[in-house]
Amino acid sequence: MPLKNKFANYIFALLSLLILVESCKKEEYSIPDPVNQLSNDCIKRTLGPNIVSLPIEFAYAMAVPKSKGKLVSAQVEASIAGAAATYLENNSYSTNSSGQDAAVRVGTPSVNDGNKTKVTFNVDTNAATLRYFYVIPEEARGKTVSFIFSATSSDGATVTYNMGPYNISKMDIVRNLKVTSADSSYISIADMTVYNRNNVAANAGKIDLVYLYQPTPATFTHALVSPAADKQYLPGITLPAGVNRNTKIRKVFNLQDYNLARINVGIYIDDRDFQEINLTDAPNYAIGLRAEAGTWVETADGKYRAYIFLNSVNANGSAVISMLRYPLQ
Amino acid sequence: MATIFKVLFLFLLATVAVTSCSKDVPVDEDGLLITERQECYVSNFELVGSDFVTVRPAGTAAAIDTTAQTILVTVLFGTDLKNVYPQFTLANDCKLDPKITGKVDFSDLAPKTYTVISGNRKIKKPYAVTVKYQ
Repeated sequence: MPLKNKFANYIFALLSLLILVESCKKEEYSIPDPVNQLSNDCIKRTLGPNIVSLPIEFAYAMAVPKSKGKLVSAQVEASIAGAAATYLENNSYSTNSSGQDAAVRVGTPSVNDGNKTKVTFNVDTNAATLRYFYVIPEEARGKTVSFIFSATSSDGATVTYNMGPYNISKMDIVRNLKVTSADSSYISIADMTVYNRNNVAANAGKIDLVYLYQPTPATFTHALVSPAADKQYLPGITLPAGVNRNTKIRKVFNLQDYNLARINVGIYIDDRDFQEINLTDAPNYAIGLRAEAGTWVETADGKYRAYIFLNSVNANGSAVISMLRYPLQ
Repeated sequence: MATIFKVLFLFLLATVAVTSCSKDVPVDEDGLLITERQECYVSNFELVGSDFVTVRPAGTAAAIDTTAQTILVTVLFGTDLKNVYPQFTLANDCKLDPKITGKVDFSDLAPKTYTVISGNRKIKKPYAVTVKYQ
């Protein structure tokens, strides 16, 4: 073997050995330096779309070393003032041995002042996690909202934490409307309410759907039917004058939106679902509905799309429904 | 050392040669495997609505006649036949033409023809699917 080749082989072997040794080297762990000043952190606890009238929940944590003093106050500033029910909890939570949230009172009840919500601590504490419930106001519909969380300590230090921006949905929500086949069965999407025989005449032009229950045929049962549907889907029903809208409706099953169903299923209907769904060839009736079934709806005037969820049904001819509505215009 | 390299090189060469000689697997225009199978029939048929729940009355399966090549399915009162999804179960390695890519409109109640193509792609059997209300 020529000397040059032999030399190259030795170099190659040496390099391989070096790489092998280097790759096996253990990285030493070093203890991180403790934070020695006021610090904070924040998470958003609610998932899904942010709907007007519902809260967005945050958990805001803050701590200061004992040597530096104690916590004095915590504050949240929203870019759009929250609804009156907005508050910052004056309890700090920890998890007890049973895995439950245990509350400890740390301050006075929060005060809303314009865009700001503030809690002043009245106990000597170095660390706290406060929950903030921002109830989305009507003014925020279709806009974005941001938040600045801040905390101050007795040594004069202040820390801030920015959250957002978050899109606020254009959707409206209404829950637990009782409908009965015998009386309260006229549903208005525009008003998001149910009218009964006594007050339907005054609102005839707004009725989009009629709820009815028919025990026979067995496949009929609970139904949401457009007033303009074929008479075979409105058996024995005499509609008041002016109730004649032709609403498109499509049955869905297994779409238990979290906000409507309030069961532990992580499914959310968002603005985009309403924007993208195509109901052009949907029928104007939905029969054979069951509990936890739903229906996509589009009003005859093209103003709204909605999702009506059946929370429960009763064989005596009644049901409890909840509704999400999205304005198209 | 040189001997080792020579052996390695020859081994690699042999591997490449063997791999390149292996026979290509026959696939059709859809990228599906063409097999030796000649079976060509529909073994089960289902029709589901927009809520992906069957539109057949309980206990009544679709009537499949593999000799006459017909399928008759009875659907529930009130079924929205403009928006239904047919589901075929075929014999092994078969495929269907036309493909079902979404909802199908059966509202005219006229028979619709779907052709079953065998695994060897040599046998084609058209099935007429008819829907009627309960």
